[in-house]
Amino acid sequence: MSFEFTKENLEKIEALKSRYPSPKALSLPCLWMAQYQERYISLEAIETIGDLIDLPPMEIYRVATFYTMFNLEPVGKYHIQLCKTLSCALCGKAEMLNHLKNRLGLSPGESSSDGAFTLTQVECLGSCGTAPVMQINDQYYENLTPEKIDIILDSLEEGS
Amino acid sequence: MSQIDIVIDNMTFTAEKGSLLIDLLIKHDLKVPYFCYHEALGADGNCRMCMVEIEGQKRPQIACDTLIKEEMVVRTKGENIDGVRRDILELELINHPIDCPVCDQAGECKLQDFYMDYGLYESNIKQSDKVHHRKHIDLGSSVILDQERCVLCARCTRFTSDITKTHELGIIGRGDHACVSTMPGKKLDNPYAMNIVDLCPVGALTSKDFRFQQRVWFLTSSPSICHGCAKGCNIFIDHNREKYKDETIYRFRPRENQQVNGFFICDEGRLSYKKLQDNRQLDMILNGKSCEEAEALEAYRNLLEAGSGKIVILADANLYTEELEMIQIYAQKLGATLSSPMVSDLDDAFADEWLKSSQRASNAKAIEKLGIMTDLPDEKIALLINFNHPNTVSIDAERVISFRTNQQKEPADLILPLAVFSESSGTLTNEDGIEQYCPKVITRNDPAPTVIEWMIRCQEEVE
Ligand code: SF4
Ligand code: SF4
Ligand code: FES
Ligand code: FES
Repeated sequence: MSFEFTKENLEKIEALKSRYPSPKALSLPCLWMAQYQERYISLEAIETIGDLIDLPPMEIYRVATFYTMFNLEPVGKYHIQLCKTLSCALCGKAEMLNHLKNRLGLSPGESSSDGAFTLTQVECLGSCGTAPVMQINDQYYENLTPEKIDIILDSLEEGS
Repeated sequence: MSQIDIVIDNMTFTAEKGSLLIDLLIKHDLKVPYFCYHEALGADGNCRMCMVEIEGQKRPQIACDTLIKEEMVVRTKGENIDGVRRDILELELINHPIDCPVCDQAGECKLQDFYMDYGLYESNIKQSDKVHHRKHIDLGSSVILDQERCVLCARCTRFTSDITKTHELGIIGRGDHACVSTMPGKKLDNPYAMNIVDLCPVGALTSKDFRFQQRVWFLTSSPSICHGCAKGCNIFIDHNREKYKDETIYRFRPRENQQVNGFFICDEGRLSYKKLQDNRQLDMILNGKSCEEAEALEAYRNLLEAGSGKIVILADANLYTEELEMIQIYAQKLGATLSSPMVSDLDDAFADEWLKSSQRASNAKAIEKLGIMTDLPDEKIALLINFNHPNTVSIDAERVISFRTNQQKEPADLILPLAVFSESSGTLTNEDGIEQYCPKVITRNDPAPTVIEWMIRCQEEVE
C-alpha cells in the first residue's frame, strides 16, 4: 500500500504553505485532504504528510488520534454518525439507533460488507435544537424519525 | 542577568532574575511535588503538581513555568496549597490501577511519595469505575510500558522528541483515552532508550532487564564510573547482598554530572554490569587445572625464572591509573617491556556524536599520559605477563601468565583471577582529560585480588 496526494491536493498544500510561517502548521489541512481523498487516513498517508510538511510521523499521528472526526480505519461510502449526546439522547436517539441497527444489520463501529455503510455514534453535533441528529458524510439530517431514516437510506441505496 | 533576592517560606534566597522558580526550589531542597518538569527536558506545565502560592496572585501558580522576579514572595507550604495539591493528585490517580504490590516502581514512585505527603484522602471512585488501558506492552529496547500507570507527564515522549530526536513515542488520543504509544507496528529503537525508565516518575515504564529482580528498598546505590568507553559516564551501581548469597549488582543508573554525561547514559553501558558478574574467572588455573594460591605463586616464580629472554607485560587500558603505575614500576624492576595495544579498542560502530566514544577503553588517556607504548615489540617473546588485556591469543610467547577478570580461551600456562572495576578502586581519565575517582563498591564473599594486591603478593615471591 502506498499513498500519494492527488495533483490538486498537492497544489492546495503548496498554496497553503505561503499562509503560515512554517509548513509544520499544515498537519490539519493535510489530514483533511487525505481523509477526503481516501475516506480514511492510512499510516502511509501519515508518513507522506510528514515528509511534505517536515514533521516526524508521530507528530501527525498524535493529531490524527486526538480528533475523533479523523477516521484511522477505512469507512464505508456513507459514514453514518449518529449523535449520542444529551439532547439527542433525550429526544429519541435510542430509537433511531435501534432502527439503524435493524435496517442496516450493523452495530456501532461496524461497516457493511459491500462497503456502502459504516455506523458510528458520536458526541454532540452542535445541532441540539433539531435533535435527534445524524451526519452522513458532510450532510446533516435533523429531527429524525424512523420513517425519515428509511427515506434517507432508500435514496442513498438507490444512488449507489 | 542580575542576581536578586526573593522570599520563599519566610527565608531569603538569591537567584538569577528570569530563571525558573522550580530550579531554585530543587537546588535548595525546598520540597515541591512535580511529575513533568525535568532539568534535562525543561518545563512542560502539564501535570500541575508543582503549584506554589505567590503573593499578589489570585490563584496558585505552577513553579516550573514561573520566572523569578523582583520582590517575589513565595509559599510552598500551608493548608491552602496542600489542599490544591491533594485535589490535583486525586485527579491524577482517578484511573490509576491499584498495582503497587505488584508494581516494580513501588518504593521509588512519585505517585506513592506524593500520596503520602499530600494525598491521604478517601478515594471517591470505585475500582470498577476505572478506565483501563493496556498493560505490559513491549515497546522495544528492553522497555515495558504499562499504560494504566502513566500520569501522562510526557517526559518519555519529550526525551525521544527533544533529546534523541528519534520521535518514537507520543501521547495519542485524548481525555480518558490518552496514552503513550509508538506508531502502530513501530518499536522504540534508539541506543539511549532505557533512560526513559529513569525519567518516568511512576511505574509506567520499567526495564525488562531489571523488573521483578529486586525490590528497590533492598538496594544500596553506590557512585561509580561506567567502563564501557572513554567517556566515563557517571553512574550509580545498585546492589544488594541477599542472605547466603554473594553481593549482586542489579542495575546501573545514570548519575548527574554536567561535565561528563549530563543526566543520561547509553543502554549498552547500562547493561554492561552483567560483565562484572557473568563468566568470571574465579579459579587459579595452572596448565589447565585449578590450583591453590601457594602452588600458583610458586608457578609464577618458576615461570619468571625459567630462562632469560624478552619479558613483555600487557596492560588493559581499562585498569585504574594507580594500577597502571604499579605495573609500570613492576615492569622496570623486571626489565620488561610494557605495552597496551589499542587495536581492539576502537569501535566506530559504537560511537556517536553524543556520549558514546569510539575509544572503548575507559582509561586510554592514562595510557597516553603515562607514556605506555601501544604497539608490540617484534622481538621473540620469552615470557608474556598479561594484565587483563583482551588480546593475548595472537601473541606468540614461550610462556604466558594471564591475570583475568573474565574467563577467556587463551594459551596461558598460568591464569590468575582479577577483581573487576567495581571490586577495586582508582582513578580514570576520560577522553576529555577529566580525572574521575571510582570507589570500591562490591565485596565478594570470596574476592578476587586486585592488581595492587597481586603485585604485592608476587613481589614478595620475587624478593
Ligand atoms: S506506578 Fe507507583 S503508584 Fe502506580 S502502581 Fe506503581 S508503585 Fe504504585
Ligand atoms: S510513561 Fe511515564 S514518563 Fe511517559 S508520560 Fe507516562 S508517566 Fe510520563
Ligand atoms: S446533543 Fe445531539 S446535536 Fe447536540
Ligand atoms: S512540574 Fe510544573 S506542571 Fe508539571
